[in-house]
Amino acid sequence: MTGSNAPRANSMTGKWVKRWPLRPLSAVILLVLAAVAAASCLITQNVVADQERLILREQTAEVAAVVGSSFAGAQSSLQLLGQIAGSGDTHPKLFAAAAHAVTTASTQGWLVTIKSGTSLKVTAAAGNGPVVGQALSGAQGTLAGRALAAKGLVSGFVRDGRALRLVFALGGAAGPGTVVWQETVISPTTPTPTGPTSPWHSLNVAIYLSNHPDPSALVVTTTKDLPLAGVQYPFRVGADTWLIVASSPQSVVGSLGQDMPWIVLAFGVVTAVLMTAVLETLGRRRDYASALVEERTASLRSAIAERETAQASLSRQENMAAIGQLAATVGHELRNPLAVVMNVLYLMKVGSKAAADDPIHRHVATAEREISAATRIVSDLLDFAAGRGPILAPVEVCDLVTEALSVVPPPDGVQVVQRGEPLVVDADRDQIRQALLNLITNGYDAMPSGGVLTVSTTSGPGSVQITVTDTGMGMDEKTSGSIFTPFFTKKTRGIGLGLAVTKRVIEAHGGTIAVQSTPGAGTSFTLTLPVLAAMVSAPQ
Amino acid sequence: MNGPAELKRPTVLVVDDEVGMRDTLVAILEYHGYRVWSAPDGETAFSAVQEEDFDVLVMDIRMPGRDGVSVLEELGIPPRVILMTAYAAEDRLRAAADANVFAVLSKPFDMNRMLSLVAQASEENK
Repeated sequence: MTGSNAPRANSMTGKWVKRWPLRPLSAVILLVLAAVAAASCLITQNVVADQERLILREQTAEVAAVVGSSFAGAQSSLQLLGQIAGSGDTHPKLFAAAAHAVTTASTQGWLVTIKSGTSLKVTAAAGNGPVVGQALSGAQGTLAGRALAAKGLVSGFVRDGRALRLVFALGGAAGPGTVVWQETVISPTTPTPTGPTSPWHSLNVAIYLSNHPDPSALVVTTTKDLPLAGVQYPFRVGADTWLIVASSPQSVVGSLGQDMPWIVLAFGVVTAVLMTAVLETLGRRRDYASALVEERTASLRSAIAERETAQASLSRQENMAAIGQLAATVGHELRNPLAVVMNVLYLMKVGSKAAADDPIHRHVATAEREISAATRIVSDLLDFAAGRGPILAPVEVCDLVTEALSVVPPPDGVQVVQRGEPLVVDADRDQIRQALLNLITNGYDAMPSGGVLTVSTTSGPGSVQITVTDTGMGMDEKTSGSIFTPFFTKKTRGIGLGLAVTKRVIEAHGGTIAVQSTPGAGTSFTLTLPVLAAMVSAPQ
Repeated sequence: MNGPAELKRPTVLVVDDEVGMRDTLVAILEYHGYRVWSAPDGETAFSAVQEEDFDVLVMDIRMPGRDGVSVLEELGIPPRVILMTAYAAEDRLRAAADANVFAVLSKPFDMNRMLSLVAQASEENK
């Protein structure tokens, strides 16, 4: 039992070693939980981003309000200057002083124009800009025209030479047909410094004089990294739409908000791993338990099967022993009556006064033949019942074959061929002779309409082979598989013990018997006997 | 049975417990010119051999009481003995161990073979 337990234990360890690191169910659960964690992370990220955008938008709106209010201041300055310029024949110095009062940068210029015909002529000027008497033309003219038409604050760019000027113009402030003008040299691509006091809060801001982030319409920026990716917030300045684009260099929702998606992800992943570990442990325990149950069941089953086989073999042996006993008893009890009948037939034959052609002679001969047949059956029964071990002595195989062939002369139409050189083997002469007789008579019986029976002896490595081949009817596979079974026969005569006895005898010698048959072509029996008799014990 | 020719005829003792076997053998041997005695068991056969000098003894091996082999063992200088057996192999081997056995025949046997063996044995015993 230990011998059969060991490989099973091995196979089980092998299963544990070879298997996947995770059971499929655990792997699926891990993946699902990980996916949930990732999805939660993404959702949190979205929520945080939304929050971020919302806050940014609010801050941007504040910036826009601040910027808008400063432009409102510019508009009131222009209105004031317009009133000063429009109150009759104002002294240029008064205009200049007023302009100076509202000037916030040295690059600013102020002027008032009046429309005469199609051209606009500067009537008052201060600061760094066009001078009195100059006519506005080109972009300046277009802008001034727009200011007259809008009758409100308009804004635009004027480029002269290298300098870019941002212009706010207010139409009608100094009376009908006038435009009050403020221009400031700007350099929009140079970032304006930001700080805690700046109107930008801590945002990165770019302001465009356009409703879209057109680089040529940039008015001011706090960063060189343009275009900015951030919140776009359009707002009105007088008659025009401006745009603030703002982004935040650091999170506006705070670092916890920023980290929240990753916290969610980490928490989810840790949960997934823990859950999987727990499930895996439970699953493996269950697997182990069921493997154990299976193994025990299998060993129980095989034990039962072994016992059944042993019992079957035992009862078969008992059956065979009983059959042997019966065969021996019947055989011996039949021998004496058969012998007496033979004697009586002999007496009838020799004592008959009947003429030679009297049918009585034929009848006696028939009776004698039948007695012979009965005698053969009895011999088979007794051979089968005897089952004694072989008594080994050197036997010359060719001689033995010749002797066996002479005992049973071939029927009419059968030709006998004997082949092979003399070979000596340790064997029980009587038993092998009986085996050969069985094979030879079988061969004859297989050729009722004649044929060739060949008996050849050959030597192989450590063995001697005797082959008995007939050219008779042959047999199918099913038949050839059963011919060594006791009491199996296809003949109308005989009780089917010849080949069973032959097989047992050869196997008791440590040899083998093989059959090869082709239906319609013939059958060949090969006896293989070992030469090394020392290998074969002779049980007594 | 008392003439000189009568005395020249070889004598045979047939020993078999089966009456049918005994009677038919006696009849056949007598038909072939032998002077034949018969005994139904080993004990009777043993006494008969003490009194009469038979040329040939044809005896069954297995009989109730003393069997053929033990009779054989006790006989001093026996006549030529032909043993018969219904048990083939093993009896044949037991009998063959005894050098005095002329032949062992398995029942049923070919009567011509039996007759020729009896003839040979009686020839050699002269």
